[in-house]
Amino acid sequence: MAEADDRRRPPGSRLIWPLLALPGTVWLALLFVAPLYVVVAILFGGTDPILREPVPVWNPLDWDFTQFTYVWDHIVGSRPFFRPALVRTVVYVTIATLGCLLIAYPVAYFTARFAGRWKGVLLAALIAPFWISYMMRMLAWVNLLQTDGLVNRALSAGGLFDVHVDWLQGHAATVVLGLMYGYVPYMILPLYAGLDRAPVRMLEAARDLGASRWETFRRVTWPLSRSAVVVSLLVTALPMLGDYFTNDLLSGSPSTSMIGNLINNSVLTPGQTGQAGAFVLIILVVSVIPMVLYVRSTRSGADLMS
Amino acid sequence: MTGYRGSASRRSIVKGALAAGISLPAMSAFLTACGSKTSSSGAVKIPSPDNPVTWPLSKANQAIAAGQTPKAGSTLRIYNYADYLSPRVLKDFEAKYGVKIRLSTFNDADEALTKVASKDLKFDLYFPSYDSLGKLIGADLLRPLTHDYLTNYDNLWPSFHDPWYDRGARYTVPYTIYTTGIGWRTDMVDADIAGMDNPYDVLWDTKYAGNMAILDDWHTAMSMVLLRNGIDDINTTSTKDLDLIRTQILDLRSTMRPKVTISMYTDMPAGQYGLAQFWSGDAINTPYYLPKNVDPSVMRYWFPSDGKGEIDNDLVVCLAQGENPVAAHFFMNEILDNDVAGKNFGFTGYQPPLNKFTPSTLVSQGYLPKTLQTAVVEPQDFKVGFPLLQLPAASDTAWHQVWQEFKAGG
Amino acid sequence: MTNPVAWYRNPWRKPWVLGAVTVGYLLWSLLPVAVAVLFSFNAGRSRVTWQGFSMRWYYGDPLRSVWHDSSLHTALTHTLWLGVLATVITIPLGVAMALGLDRWRGRVPAGANLAVLMSFVLPEILIAVSLLFVATVLVSPLELGTSGQVAGLVTFQLSYPVVIVRARLLTIGRDYEEAAVDLGASPFGAVWRVLLKMLLPAIFASAVLVFADVIDDFIIVRYLSGDSTTEPVSVKVYNTARAAPTPALNALTTLLLVASLLAVSLGFLAFRVLTRGEKNAAGLDVFTGEA
Repeated sequence: MAEADDRRRPPGSRLIWPLLALPGTVWLALLFVAPLYVVVAILFGGTDPILREPVPVWNPLDWDFTQFTYVWDHIVGSRPFFRPALVRTVVYVTIATLGCLLIAYPVAYFTARFAGRWKGVLLAALIAPFWISYMMRMLAWVNLLQTDGLVNRALSAGGLFDVHVDWLQGHAATVVLGLMYGYVPYMILPLYAGLDRAPVRMLEAARDLGASRWETFRRVTWPLSRSAVVVSLLVTALPMLGDYFTNDLLSGSPSTSMIGNLINNSVLTPGQTGQAGAFVLIILVVSVIPMVLYVRSTRSGADLMS
Repeated sequence: MTGYRGSASRRSIVKGALAAGISLPAMSAFLTACGSKTSSSGAVKIPSPDNPVTWPLSKANQAIAAGQTPKAGSTLRIYNYADYLSPRVLKDFEAKYGVKIRLSTFNDADEALTKVASKDLKFDLYFPSYDSLGKLIGADLLRPLTHDYLTNYDNLWPSFHDPWYDRGARYTVPYTIYTTGIGWRTDMVDADIAGMDNPYDVLWDTKYAGNMAILDDWHTAMSMVLLRNGIDDINTTSTKDLDLIRTQILDLRSTMRPKVTISMYTDMPAGQYGLAQFWSGDAINTPYYLPKNVDPSVMRYWFPSDGKGEIDNDLVVCLAQGENPVAAHFFMNEILDNDVAGKNFGFTGYQPPLNKFTPSTLVSQGYLPKTLQTAVVEPQDFKVGFPLLQLPAASDTAWHQVWQEFKAGG
Repeated sequence: MTNPVAWYRNPWRKPWVLGAVTVGYLLWSLLPVAVAVLFSFNAGRSRVTWQGFSMRWYYGDPLRSVWHDSSLHTALTHTLWLGVLATVITIPLGVAMALGLDRWRGRVPAGANLAVLMSFVLPEILIAVSLLFVATVLVSPLELGTSGQVAGLVTFQLSYPVVIVRARLLTIGRDYEEAAVDLGASPFGAVWRVLLKMLLPAIFASAVLVFADVIDDFIIVRYLSGDSTTEPVSVKVYNTARAAPTPALNALTTLLLVASLLAVSLGFLAFRVLTRGEKNAAGLDVFTGEA
């Protein structure tokens, strides 16, 4: 069908599509794809003797694997001192993402199904965190969680107890809660979009046929929302992998450091910049795997790929 | 249809990769010509009190001619630690000379050196310490000073007129002097730290676990471990000493759960923790940040009474990449003025090495309470104290690796 | 209804639990921000103890208020400028790319699709570090500062309009375009006069999303920042929060909040005016990619 129409079109009309796509493609090639090679060239390169700034090596035949081997040895070797940070990242991100799901799903479900005339207001309130600066929201929590801050004062219930928890002194719970607080808005919108699409008739039919609330959820609602859940999990978990500032602001201690902190600590340290490249590549590999799996498992992913 | 699209994309990736691989050697030759920005050569001299250095005058960067005045409306770009220059001093300078000051700040000396080395940002003034002086001069980043502009130079302590790290003061002007010791709040920590045999041990005392902090500076923090063990050479290249540092600092991390930061001067007054490794200037600054209902005498600072502890001074240098060297010289001269230095000291807490500021005048003029008198630095302290020096490259790498392991968390 | 078990089992009862969770979430999400805004009006230096009402940190204090401290108000103007610049570059580039990639077949567009998908999925820190290396280590036109920041932001945000517009294109289909061509329009005219009008909600939604994301960005703008004039609010907050923050920081973030609220509202109003009476006129649903 498309070919028959094409013959009727004036020649040169098919050029319009490549021309439209070209600027963006060139941009991505120059500023997204090519710099990844620069990262590799620096990782496998050397360092300037005086300032210890990185010196990239472009020809793969001249590559020097010392920096990469150093990082690798300290993840899987005899003194794996990078490994705890990597493990911690996986643990924090998993817990935070699941926690986000536990909060986001009920909220999204309520907004999609039961909000009624409040839907617009609710949506506006849910979208609000997107244009409230992430830093402002974190700063707000730093102020509240200070030892003399409002959280401790509220918990002391006006003098009944004496609560002086040092929330900001290197506690994993604070960091995970901070990650949840920061990223849960990213999860709510795709979930809402998916749940909004779910046909209400099916749910009503299930109820009419005598299913309890839990059964309806388990056998109708959840399967219908599964793809939305997967998308929202990815959209929330992947950015968390590169996060280092939540840890810096909510915990000044190295005992809660994540892979983002490993990158941040080394990228501007003379002599260690190449190692930052190694961690960046680790994140690349780890992020690409779920993406590939997702793309293979869904039709919409395949359409997007082509 | 889907199959065709899928396989096309797979094939395209492989073909693209092959094409990239084939053209890479050609590209690499081109890119090497395009080149990287940093290019430096020559060995690096490491100055120390026993080994003073006279730096060679830069051939590429000439000293400016004398007798000029700053151009009104021009910009002076300063690169310094956060909260290390009084806003009042900056505003007064702007008003006096009609120059606009643009202050950029850093939290980490290593990071700052990287940004300065890139030369993109064209800073005029930079505030390093002498442990990066060799690198800065080796990479030819500094402009030699024209002393005709520094009319207030005589205000400096005589021992700083011709320092060991820069004989002839060709490149540097001293900025502040400070010691590194231990600070605490008597209402949060009940030990008599000053009276202990080895006060450094209190930083490993598990009674204060979760209630303490150490400085986020690799050399300062790791040297403290050496001093705790009675090792005076805090710039050691010995691997045995480095192993000792590694063991004890990792032990500190796991048993004491320290916060690693440079914001002690606000955290401790806010009650975040009661014990920390401290810079003397920060200790002097803490009463300003204490809430109104807390008595300033709860803040204490300890430094070895025989003066055998970490002692340093920060510098001001004029960067060659800057575009306003005349205003830069005027600013360097301005902070050597007694009144201006006093205002700056009132804000930062860090003592300027000027004759007018002696320990007795500092207390009597109300710059600091009597309980913090231990934080004042005297000229003779520099004769017995240990400065943090630049380390040779291999040693520097080894120290940084231990610090990296520490910061990676366990 | 008197029997609590029957009440519990009733599948048609009001969803009190869900409602309570939603309200609880909204409070948890927005109350800390409200407290931060409140303390920006604090008369004293504390950010945790209320010491009276004052506009000191906005314009009163001659040294440290947002009005007088150039590093603070420069951060605000720079953030908004980055937002505008990045959005103005990203949207045309992204929309054109979406249109082109939808119709162009071949190996190059397949690769481009892959690049878009990867830039959408990969964490920001990758783009930030790779562009930092290009800016500092290579001799290239990319420099630390505004140019570097905009380059990084556009690269990171480009996938948003592409994904959103393509999703919408799938829904629209090719019928309208082909009808326009049959009626005599050139292919370019069909796109310009028919397709773009129908894509307006998606374009608008992606513009708002990109703008909001850019003014909130931290990792890319921090690594690619130059001196203090190219530090946006997020970097200023990060640097100052770890040193000695005053309520001036709260004031700065409140001002940014007001500015972005104004921008989003203005944009939304403009959108409503532009699509008045059309079938595509949509409510807030458009932000979720539904319209």
